Amino acid sequence: MCVDDELLNTYLDDELQEPWKTQVQEHLSYCNACRQRLEQLRSLHLKLYDARLRDSDIKTRQDRVYAYFEKTRFPSANKKMHIFRKKIQIKLVPALITSAAAFVVVFIGAFMLFGTQPQMGQEILPGVVEPINSAHIRQVTDVQKPSLDMFSLEQIVQHLDAMGYAVKLELKAVTPLE
Amino acid sequence: MEIQSNDERAFKRVYEEVFPILMRVVYHVTNNQDLAEEICQEAFIRFFDKGMEFATLDDAKYWLIRVSKNLAINQVKRKAREMGMVEKLKKFPAMHANTSDGAQVLVEKETRKLVQEAIDQLPEKFRLVIVMKEYTDMDYKQIASVLHISESNVKVRVYRARKMLESILSQE
Repeated sequence: MCVDDELLNTYLDDELQEPWKTQVQEHLSYCNACRQRLEQLRSLHLKLYDARLRDSDIKTRQDRVYAYFEKTRFPSANKKMHIFRKKIQIKLVPALITSAAAFVVVFIGAFMLFGTQPQMGQEILPGVVEPINSAHIRQVTDVQKPSLDMFSLEQIVQHLDAMGYAVKLELKAVTPLE
Repeated sequence: MEIQSNDERAFKRVYEEVFPILMRVVYHVTNNQDLAEEICQEAFIRFFDKGMEFATLDDAKYWLIRVSKNLAINQVKRKAREMGMVEKLKKFPAMHANTSDGAQVLVEKETRKLVQEAIDQLPEKFRLVIVMKEYTDMDYKQIASVLHISESNVKVRVYRARKMLESILSQE
């Protein structure tokens, strides 16, 4: 006895439970008529599938309806945030990069043009001002001007010798000690 | 993961997943793309405005299919007659303009049109079941739960709908 049409439809949709599923499979293995009928049903299924609404037709309508929701249902604050964020991403970042690049170019250019001089560095670097207290203050009048009387003959000779002078001492007169 | 229908992110997730399925179901039930778009929009408006909670995305999908199916049935009788005529007038010159695409394209379009017209001729209760079976990934059990009918009823309707379609298409 052949498989009835309703059972074949259920089998085609993969909704037939065991043990009927195995029984139908066995029957199909030797019954030509039932196999042909199953093929007819399968071809109808494919024909219906081919007639489905195409993705491209759906996409246009899907986007249009979504635009309606963006306009009417979603909080406008979110939308403004998006625009604001976009602006920052698009305008602020390139501006920062450009100004940083310009700064680097000017800096390197200045060094290449003028070179590096140690005096410049000293002029540029800020001086350290020591706080005023009594230990640092010295009366100008206290400072004695150095004179030859302050040094012994030996110190003078050593000093001159150290500076590379050839020193020749001559005694002109000798007064006996009393 | 629970779905709150009026939460923008959850809504977007459901929308992207379900809109194409909904559009297909409603189009094949109504045979009118403009009307289908209108019905899908209305179903999603209700979905958003009611602010409901769904346990899973599938639950949200079944709710949307159920609502749009009801909207389609309610509106199809009233609108399909007037808009169907406009649609036919729109389609007619467009088909002639496409003859340069080749005879094959025309034949394919013609076949699709014939199949859709055959679906259109089915009584409502058979049309709904066969459209859900052929154009969504739902099984008999899920279709039964969406339509509030028994699983065996779905099985019988699928079988009878296919028999009717074969008969209509063999006449053309």
